Amino acid sequence: MNQRSSNLLDEALGLDQVIEPWPLRGRVVAIEDQVETSGSFVLHHLLKCSLSPNSSNVTIFIAFSEPFSHYDRILRKLGCNLVSQRDNSRFFFFDMLKLQCPDGDEGITPEGGLIALYGKIHKTISALPEICWRNVSIIIDDLSLMEVAANGSSDYVLDFLHYCRTLTSEFDCSLITLNHEDIYSSEDRPTFFIQMEYLADILIKAEPLATGLATDVHGQLTVSNKGRNKVSNFHFKVKENVVECFYPGRSRG
Amino acid sequence: MAESICRALRDGALEGELAPALTIKDSVASPFALQVFSHVISQLFSSILAGKSQSRGLVVVSFSRSPSFYLDLLKNKGIDVASSNKQIQILDCYSDPLGWKDQLAGSRDFTALSNEALVSSTAIVFREVKHMDKLYNSIIELGKGLVRGGKIRFSIAIDSVDEMLRHAPVSSVARLLSNLRSHDQISSLFWLLHSDLHEARVSAVLEYLSSIVASLEPSHQLANGQRGDLENFKHNSKKGKFHVRFKKRNGRVRVMSEEVQIEQSGINFTSLPPEGAINQGLVPKVQFSLQLSEKERIDKANVVLPFEHQGNGKPIQIYDGRRSLVDSKHERPVAAVENVQTNENCGSGEIIYYRDSDDEMPDSDEDPDDDLDI
Amino acid sequence: MAAAKTRTSTFSRNLSTAAPSHGPGLKCGPNGTIFLSSGIPDLDKILGGGFPLGSLVMVMEDAEAPHHMLLLRNFMAQGLVLGQPLLYSSPARDPRGFLGTLPSPAASKDDKSRERDPDQEKGLRIAWQYKKYFGENQLDGQRDGKHEYSNEFDLRKPLERHFINGPHIDCVSIQDCPDLSTLRDRFATFLSQFPRNNGSISCAGRIAIQSFCAPQCAYSNMEWDMLSFIRSLKSMVRSSNSVAIITFPPSLLSPSFCKRWQHMADTLLSVKAIQDEDKELAQLLTGYQDMVGFLNVHKVAGINTQVPVILEATTFSIKLQKRRYLVLECLNQAPVDGSSGTSYGTSGGCSSSSKTGNLDF
Repeated sequence: MNQRSSNLLDEALGLDQVIEPWPLRGRVVAIEDQVETSGSFVLHHLLKCSLSPNSSNVTIFIAFSEPFSHYDRILRKLGCNLVSQRDNSRFFFFDMLKLQCPDGDEGITPEGGLIALYGKIHKTISALPEICWRNVSIIIDDLSLMEVAANGSSDYVLDFLHYCRTLTSEFDCSLITLNHEDIYSSEDRPTFFIQMEYLADILIKAEPLATGLATDVHGQLTVSNKGRNKVSNFHFKVKENVVECFYPGRSRG
Repeated sequence: MAESICRALRDGALEGELAPALTIKDSVASPFALQVFSHVISQLFSSILAGKSQSRGLVVVSFSRSPSFYLDLLKNKGIDVASSNKQIQILDCYSDPLGWKDQLAGSRDFTALSNEALVSSTAIVFREVKHMDKLYNSIIELGKGLVRGGKIRFSIAIDSVDEMLRHAPVSSVARLLSNLRSHDQISSLFWLLHSDLHEARVSAVLEYLSSIVASLEPSHQLANGQRGDLENFKHNSKKGKFHVRFKKRNGRVRVMSEEVQIEQSGINFTSLPPEGAINQGLVPKVQFSLQLSEKERIDKANVVLPFEHQGNGKPIQIYDGRRSLVDSKHERPVAAVENVQTNENCGSGEIIYYRDSDDEMPDSDEDPDDDLDI
Repeated sequence: MAAAKTRTSTFSRNLSTAAPSHGPGLKCGPNGTIFLSSGIPDLDKILGGGFPLGSLVMVMEDAEAPHHMLLLRNFMAQGLVLGQPLLYSSPARDPRGFLGTLPSPAASKDDKSRERDPDQEKGLRIAWQYKKYFGENQLDGQRDGKHEYSNEFDLRKPLERHFINGPHIDCVSIQDCPDLSTLRDRFATFLSQFPRNNGSISCAGRIAIQSFCAPQCAYSNMEWDMLSFIRSLKSMVRSSNSVAIITFPPSLLSPSFCKRWQHMADTLLSVKAIQDEDKELAQLLTGYQDMVGFLNVHKVAGINTQVPVILEATTFSIKLQKRRYLVLECLNQAPVDGSSGTSYGTSGGCSSSSKTGNLDF
């Protein structure tokens, strides 16, 4: 039932048929949203899929925006217990809410900041048994806050993302990021944002409907899957236990 | 045409001249430069293997893709990389460009993975991408190792310059590229550029440095960059326009365009009918417009010349300038304005004539040169 | 990071409601959140109960009107009346002086009479509106039996002295603050009074920061520093039992930074001045005479949930009833000529873009 209603999103991501081996392995997934329409539900959905009992996925969650309790409550309502998954070493939560990189270029040392974070991720993955490697997802929530943590040095963040990307080719794991499109739309040349679009194999955009927000349609998603050369577009409604996706005009009220 | 690019790179450099250099550039609206780049690499490498090209080896400087990406690519094209690693070397600026892994390995229990045997035999990890001089030396060293000295040449592929530009200023990247072009052992080189990541000047610099510029553009322009138009957006995710400008040795520029189509298996080129409008900007601007546009031609045809209207039944009127003086003075300009308005509506042409001032002599049949004493 | 929460059962519902003992001025909300009142009963209702503890509220000021001060005053006064510690900071030289302008709670008798006051000029509409509110009011009344949650404030009566001189009030001038790290430390020490643990909450703190990016502040051109201050404040507030309000003039920030600030907010509001003697608007909106401005709700805090809160209406008029009480009302548009199709229902959009142009932000 639940599976059925989110079919459109799963279909667009290639998650509808097999979940083992993880269809997103080796891929970079970029989610983009706006003030009016949050895209974090896509992160939750992917987290739920990757921790589903039918798969042996491991997720590394790098949280810049919310504490563990927030995700714990949301995922519990989606039917997934993060605490027990953490105890089973299938879920690793890195609380980066207070991370603040030292200012300036001399602050970029292996002891602190993003290099250390990269080291931690790498260590976590390599400590896993080798068969798990290709089923690891790294989720970052969200990139704009990471920029703030890096004192606005988007190059430093891009370097970090590059290293995260090397993990996708080294271990065949997947990288999933969230960012806010409207921050960059007023910039003349939003290098950071465009660079992320180039890196992404799958691009997911959450936007409000042109007609504004409504209670039965929360917005629209556009998924461009470069690997499968496909673009899909549909409306969605976020509920506590599921995300409903439907083609325009097919809302079930 | 993609053919001719590959041919130009294959034929390589003439003695004492700069090596041919190709920029492949794209933008987010049509992000297929990597596919074109891959196409060119595999074409060039197969002609190197077949011994049909000037160069005897290929150095790939990989920033944005892992070395195994290229090895897999060549394998998929049916090239046996394992036996041909005498011809290809990859300078791996992807795995650890800033030496973070190296630093972490020194400071704690960080175990870097050992690469597969094939990758490690063809790829060398480069860890100091901020130093363009060292990068230059490594590229040349790697190439010389391939061709074993002498005057034998090799080719270089760089994906992508964007990463280099993030780590180093434009001037030092430009110096590196132009030094490579003028090196006497280099047969040809090409690189990848995402033009919208940089200021307009940067892509201008790179185009200046290259002898062939291939650019990818969306086949459907989206209304002010928005993705509102979903159909066009879907279309653009599969197809694009491929423009190439060759700077020929004789000083001419050859311009060509094709359509590219991205498929699961690879990239397809189909030729486009040539667009006539391309060269119009090259013709120098003449003081006088010798040609008329369509609208100008119609307007011209609509002008009723003086006296031309006579004879279709209307009373004959010859304006001698005098009558207006007789009419009340403030009436005339109003009528003139009205005239202009009605003419705009009906679309017929007319010559509107205002006398400059009342001092001007009224038109008359008198010969103005009457008093001329010759 | 709430590592302490190691309940493995998925049956987590209403555990926090079961924990009975909250201090005064707190009430349980959905998803295990606990609300405190904004000091404006109407705003509490709009937001579904109030501001959840641990959330960051941001108010975009109007460049021309001081309506954000109304929100701040009621928020602060409500806290003081309930004895909740307060940290107030503003770009003024002497922020403490502002406390003298805080309103005092209306006597409850007065309150009652106001509820049933029939002598308003728009009898029919009021009746309709109170029908909606009346049931809730009674509920609140029952709650009042146990402890106070929120008060009605009389803007013309200053808060009694003994509330203002309490020991738990701290004031900081952000104008003299040379760098934000000292300010951050000050906030950190304040917030350390309200650590979050699973036990009962005895006390909740309030932080009010007025005009954070005001140009007279030394740091006001350091956009990344301000942003990282807000980020660290947010993360500190998240892990404590408190609510922080920041008001800021958006026009002083560059557009992209303004968006970044908006993304930071859990609850995002904006206030807007109303044009004086605007005949067109007066015709369009009933009750134009009493309005002082508009309040726009852009985002409602979604702590512990992924479901966005979609309000029926996002634009509200700010009215001063009897020139004493701050009241928020849905805009009541008078019937317009059929030709202009901007009906009330369609204008509930994210930025209420279809509404008359001058209401937009």
